[in-house]
Amino acid sequence: MPPSKITILQEEWERRLHDVNVSKNDLNRLVMDYLVIEGYKSAAEEFSVEAGLESPVDFESIENRMNIREALQRGDVGDAITRVNDLNPEILDTHPALYFRLQQQKLIEYIRQGRIEDALQFAQDELAPRGEESPEFLAELERTMALLAFESSPYAPPAVSELLSPAQRMKTATEVNTAILESLSQGKEAKLVGLLRLLCWGESMLDERAEFPKLNLSDGSFEGRAR
Amino acid sequence: MASLNLSRNNTAPPRSLSGSYSAVTVLPRGRPAGNSPASTSTAPIFEPRIIRATNTPNPPRDPACVLPFAPSTSPVTSRPRRLSSALRSANPTSASTPVHRSVPPPSSTTYAHGFPRPAYLEYSSLRDLLHTDAAPALPATGRIGYAYTLSSGSADTSVGGSPAPTIIPYPHRRRELTPQLDSDDESTASPPPPAVGPAAPGTSTTMLSVNPVLRLPTRWSEQDRLPALSISADGRELTFCGPSCVGDRESSAARANHPIPPACGIYYYEVEILQRSAKGCVHSPSNVRCGLWPSRIAFSSPDVRLSRLPGWEKNSWGYHADDGCSFAGQKDGSPYGPTFDAGDIIGCGVDFSQNRAFYTKNGAFLGMVFDNVGKSTELYPSIGMRHTAEAVRANFGNAPFKYAIEDHVRAQRDATWTSVMTTRVDLELLRLSSKTRDPGEAETRSSKESMEEMEEEEKRAPMRQLVLAYLAHHGYARTAHAFQKQCAERSRVLPPREKDIPQVTLNAHDADADADVLMETDETPSNDTHTRSYSFGPSSTANASSASSSIDYGLDRELHTRLEITNTILRGDMDSALALTSVHYPAVLKREQGLVLFHMRCRKFVELVLQAGDALRRVKEAERIRMEKEREEESAEAEAMDGAGAMDVDDPSSEAQSMITAPPVSKNVPSALSLTAPSAASGPVSASHTALSAEAKSALNTAIAYGQTLEADYKTDTRPVIRTHLRRTFGVVAYEDPCAAGGEVGEIAGQEARVTLAAEVNQAILESQGRPAHPALESMFRQAGACVVQLGLLGVGAAAFADVRKEFLEA
Repeated sequence: MPPSKITILQEEWERRLHDVNVSKNDLNRLVMDYLVIEGYKSAAEEFSVEAGLESPVDFESIENRMNIREALQRGDVGDAITRVNDLNPEILDTHPALYFRLQQQKLIEYIRQGRIEDALQFAQDELAPRGEESPEFLAELERTMALLAFESSPYAPPAVSELLSPAQRMKTATEVNTAILESLSQGKEAKLVGLLRLLCWGESMLDERAEFPKLNLSDGSFEGRAR
Repeated sequence: MASLNLSRNNTAPPRSLSGSYSAVTVLPRGRPAGNSPASTSTAPIFEPRIIRATNTPNPPRDPACVLPFAPSTSPVTSRPRRLSSALRSANPTSASTPVHRSVPPPSSTTYAHGFPRPAYLEYSSLRDLLHTDAAPALPATGRIGYAYTLSSGSADTSVGGSPAPTIIPYPHRRRELTPQLDSDDESTASPPPPAVGPAAPGTSTTMLSVNPVLRLPTRWSEQDRLPALSISADGRELTFCGPSCVGDRESSAARANHPIPPACGIYYYEVEILQRSAKGCVHSPSNVRCGLWPSRIAFSSPDVRLSRLPGWEKNSWGYHADDGCSFAGQKDGSPYGPTFDAGDIIGCGVDFSQNRAFYTKNGAFLGMVFDNVGKSTELYPSIGMRHTAEAVRANFGNAPFKYAIEDHVRAQRDATWTSVMTTRVDLELLRLSSKTRDPGEAETRSSKESMEEMEEEEKRAPMRQLVLAYLAHHGYARTAHAFQKQCAERSRVLPPREKDIPQVTLNAHDADADADVLMETDETPSNDTHTRSYSFGPSSTANASSASSSIDYGLDRELHTRLEITNTILRGDMDSALALTSVHYPAVLKREQGLVLFHMRCRKFVELVLQAGDALRRVKEAERIRMEKEREEESAEAEAMDGAGAMDVDDPSSEAQSMITAPPVSKNVPSALSLTAPSAASGPVSASHTALSAEAKSALNTAIAYGQTLEADYKTDTRPVIRTHLRRTFGVVAYEDPCAAGGEVGEIAGQEARVTLAAEVNQAILESQGRPAHPALESMFRQAGACVVQLGLLGVGAAAFADVRKEFLEA
């Protein structure tokens, strides 16, 4: 290992920054990607006009995707399934695990609403046959059914009670969102998020080897060596 | 070599390069654009060079062997850009730069051994720095032979307060900030944000700031071999000429002419074991050892070390033909692969992203081997032989490889990238989080998923801020508004959901950030001056008259005015732009001793000249139409005289039209300046034409008068940047249609110049308010890219597989 860090002067670092080839148009495309992936439909529409950029997908699909996400976050699984199938019936056909996740979510919502009979009926009709498909499905089904046993009990183990949490809804929504994006040949994560990851990786790696101006992302300024 | 000449003579401004991918790491001045895949077709024709002995008068000493860092000279001359030289200031570090021996540029004969950069290296993000001998069209500066050194073996790693420790003599070229040229318009790579915090005083160490030329091995080294090994003319074949080594420890080794740059990510070469049946030589199993040598060879006594096989010496690695064992710096090998013999092709690869090596035999992968390869020293491809008439022929990429190395590299690139993309976003590292998160907090989380969940949420708000600031910076007002509105809606809908999750706590700074986004709900315009957020509160300027009616949102006054100014510049309305700026941002006009004002005034002059040119063209157009009409009428008359009855009646409308068209003006007007007054002409002189002519004349007079004022006002300003720009500006006058003229004139007259000026003014306004001249989003991209390049140069192989442009912009 190098015995000491090298020091990169600010001026030289500026030179490095300058050498990075990126145009305003490049950045605009990254922003557009972000708006699309994160589902800011009207902003994406405005941006395509103001920046003169084509959207990689049609704006309706953004809206549909967001509607599906919202439906799941509200707990309206049936609506979400219908919408996914309207958007592209192949998505659920080709993602059995995702379809199971949606059905499981539906079961959870029944239990949450206290519709125990509906829940049992649904589990027997729809989920039990699928539990035979794979051990993971079965385990998930058992975990979900355990909710009935601990109904409104404060002593439910976290692994069970967390199924009722909004985080579970979020998780399902994210999985569906990812599958839809894949079907549109879009990345599951906005490129700007990936850029943030790369920046974290690069800065921390370089920090082990050199002193260099760090970026303060909150205002875009650079900080000298002193930290 | 076509690309070589092209880049060497490249005098175009850097803008011309910026569109190409290769410009990522290319120097903006006079640097070759690198080997794009397309240019690899320009393979030079191989011309063998006859080398008889090691005492060649001018041996192409490997620069890296001579000196870790070869200095180069006279950086200024290769600079093609005009304005910039003026701004260049003295190199602050040059005074302390020690004088090093300079290495002469390689003689042109070395090019004869060059070949295009092997295709598998295209996967490296630093590929533009990697050169075979042929590729780098070294500019006149002779910037050669940079060898990265962080090897523990390098002798001069003295640190501390001594004035010349690891200072690298490089042709330091100050990257002057010339926003008027490089500002962030649509097509150029813009200058980086100016860094604030100055470097710590008293710093004596430094890194080179020019991008080095990283040389790839292209042949066996003439110097670094034992005499028993003879090298073929093309430098690729090695033959063992002497008597076979008898002792257990003896052998003869050679190594390639350049060390392997870790910036390759993965480097690979192949060696074919040749059969040379020498008479009197009992064929014994091949004793070739193919491997890697460290750089720490003592050149004073090369025989000492080179008499050992790769893999025996410390920091060398080898794969031995007769037993198939691998040797990692020790006498005893470990079983690794099959044996190999004459006719076999053995490949050797170094994976700097894992610091491991691998071998192939006849195109088959033999598995990863060794650890910590290349971590502490430079590595050279090397060969060791022990028996008479043993011979090998190396392929350093001169020819297609037997092994599918490209697939191998691609797979490793993907794996490395995937791993980089699992990096957690550390907001504190990026100074996005005001608080340090309690480290214990993370461990108490019940599941990995909820960690990820929280991470998602955590990075969401700052990202919104980044995007919003970017939109505001560039004045995408409608987008910014729509985005902000949607963010606000989401924040209203989503946050409560987190509250009933016990194990996920919404961090306070998240709420802060969201509050920033929610500013729109504020009833009062935000007065705070903190630069973090752009407030979009309904402001008193909502009703301000705006020529561009597109901004009808209650946008912040600042953004509104700034947009108005840039829009007037983009429309060419410099009077309004100057007036608005002097009212709202008087400080901007004074920046850099009035440079911004000067540029705006020059632009005004150009606009006036353009207007005069337009007016003149209208006059000429009218004239042309009138002439055509006259000819038509003449021919019509002639036809009528021929007795064509149908033509008797002239169309009254065309008659009327000819009445209002122009009278003759003097023809052949060569330029706007030589416009003469319309001559009194025979025939009907229409009032409208007179008006047109008068307009043209007055437009021209206005332009000239303004130009004279401009000249008078800046007569005493001797700054070269002023003189040059003034000269270029006045040059516009000589052209009939400056915008249509190409080159420098078109550049200074066309819409592009408006865009550039608008960006400059936009930036100046932002800077005058203490805001960064560049959106944080742009800095983020540049910082990420710069880190990758720097890491690659420091020998972190994984950086070669983190190609910011390819992954995010070209995927």
